[in-house]
Amino acid sequence: MSATRRLVYTLGAIWLVLAVIGSFVIAILPFPPGAASNVAGSVTDTIRLLTWAAWPVFSLTIIGVIGAVLVRRSDPDAAAAPARELRGNPRLASTWIGVVGAVVLALAIVGTITLGNDDAAQALGLGGRTISGDNGNVIGGALDEGGYLPVQVIAQQWQFTYRYPTLGGFESAHLVLPNNTNVEFHITSLDVTHSFWLIALGVKADAVPLHDNVFLATTQQLGTYRSVCGELCGLWHGAMDDNSMQVVSAGDFDTWVAQEKALDAPIMKYLPPYSTTYVPDPAAYGS
Amino acid sequence: MNRRGALVVLAFLAAGVLLGAFATTYIHSSPSAITAQASSETNGGGPVVDIHLTTVAAVGFGEHPNWVGYLPTTYFKVPPNSTLRITISQQDGASGLRNPYYSLVRGTIGGTMTVNGKTMSSIDPTTAAHSFAVPGLGVNVPLLGVDDNAPAGATNTVVFSFKVPASGIFHWQCFVPCAAGTLYGLGGPMQTLGFMDGQIEVGS
Repeated sequence: MSATRRLVYTLGAIWLVLAVIGSFVIAILPFPPGAASNVAGSVTDTIRLLTWAAWPVFSLTIIGVIGAVLVRRSDPDAAAAPARELRGNPRLASTWIGVVGAVVLALAIVGTITLGNDDAAQALGLGGRTISGDNGNVIGGALDEGGYLPVQVIAQQWQFTYRYPTLGGFESAHLVLPNNTNVEFHITSLDVTHSFWLIALGVKADAVPLHDNVFLATTQQLGTYRSVCGELCGLWHGAMDDNSMQVVSAGDFDTWVAQEKALDAPIMKYLPPYSTTYVPDPAAYGS
Repeated sequence: MNRRGALVVLAFLAAGVLLGAFATTYIHSSPSAITAQASSETNGGGPVVDIHLTTVAAVGFGEHPNWVGYLPTTYFKVPPNSTLRITISQQDGASGLRNPYYSLVRGTIGGTMTVNGKTMSSIDPTTAAHSFAVPGLGVNVPLLGVDDNAPAGATNTVVFSFKVPASGIFHWQCFVPCAAGTLYGLGGPMQTLGFMDGQIEVGS
């Protein structure tokens, strides 16, 4: 066996070990955003899948580069190699293109199925956009016909406020959600385009004036989370960053709702009827 | 390097220096600040400091004399753990809140304010001229506009207090889209520090 072939076998063995160990490591790495909601879980699974698919290719590339350096390194005193020795290896090139093409095609199929078929997405654990099954944490009167808790996210320069239409329509500057609950976010804006981003819950959608963006997610973990605006929206865009969003138990949620209703009592008569969008009145402002 | 190349390099260097100087000047420019002095009173272990502000329909000086604004400034430096007792002489007429939710007084001591000596926890959102809101501290105070039929020079005196923590910088703003003459009332003074936006720096 030639020294070059021996080196190739050695590098191949190293790659195989790296690929296997890497796959196990990727399987247990805590990829963001986590599992605070089913959507976050799906995002995490997707990142894990992509990393898992990319790792063998990436490690093979690195091993290949190292191998090329070791095998093809030139003697500084040697004459320049003739041009014909620098030509590509058709077998290697076609193998490389074939492997990469297969990986890309496989991921394209997964992505297309995920985007186009909710059931398939659920089966693959990649969707997170549709919620099925029983809601195990029923809150009296709070859920709509589909079993979701509607929560309206109202953006304006420079704060998000939240309205709970099935709980009397009160509004709050704090977002609090019950755990193990299907939530139907209705996201809109009163002025410019914002973007509502609940990072840990994997919820991100534009808040557009006169538009109702709907995002479905199921809460899965108690905790305090961060919400930010993901769209540059003016002077204090950076201040639309709140670390007080909470996912709480059903009992704590009911207590919080009662407190917020009591706080809002003086202004309930002023809040407009619930609507998916609210029309700014140019005649009243900026004139 | 030939002469032309050297000139090109020099031009880029000059442009970089000018851009850097402009950015530095822009970033570090801010309105003058009030350094609030602690009074002899204390509350909850911290000092009570008084800040007096006036809201006017036109500030009357500077580059934008016709812009609405808070006077004398919107930058405050206050002691740690202090209670800010803010008195606002509100001289502007009502233009109304875009989101009526902000007609609720929140985050102040007692959850109330006084308007001309009368304790209130909310106002009619259509009567708001401005608001003083510190979202990072959960504070929101709507400011009652001066009645259109009130005599010239009429003001509404609004007083409220809230506590600040041991440290931090908190932005505050008006939630009434009161920038007359701009798109939906959101431009100009609503987007410029020193008019309807400011910050509270809590330090030693």
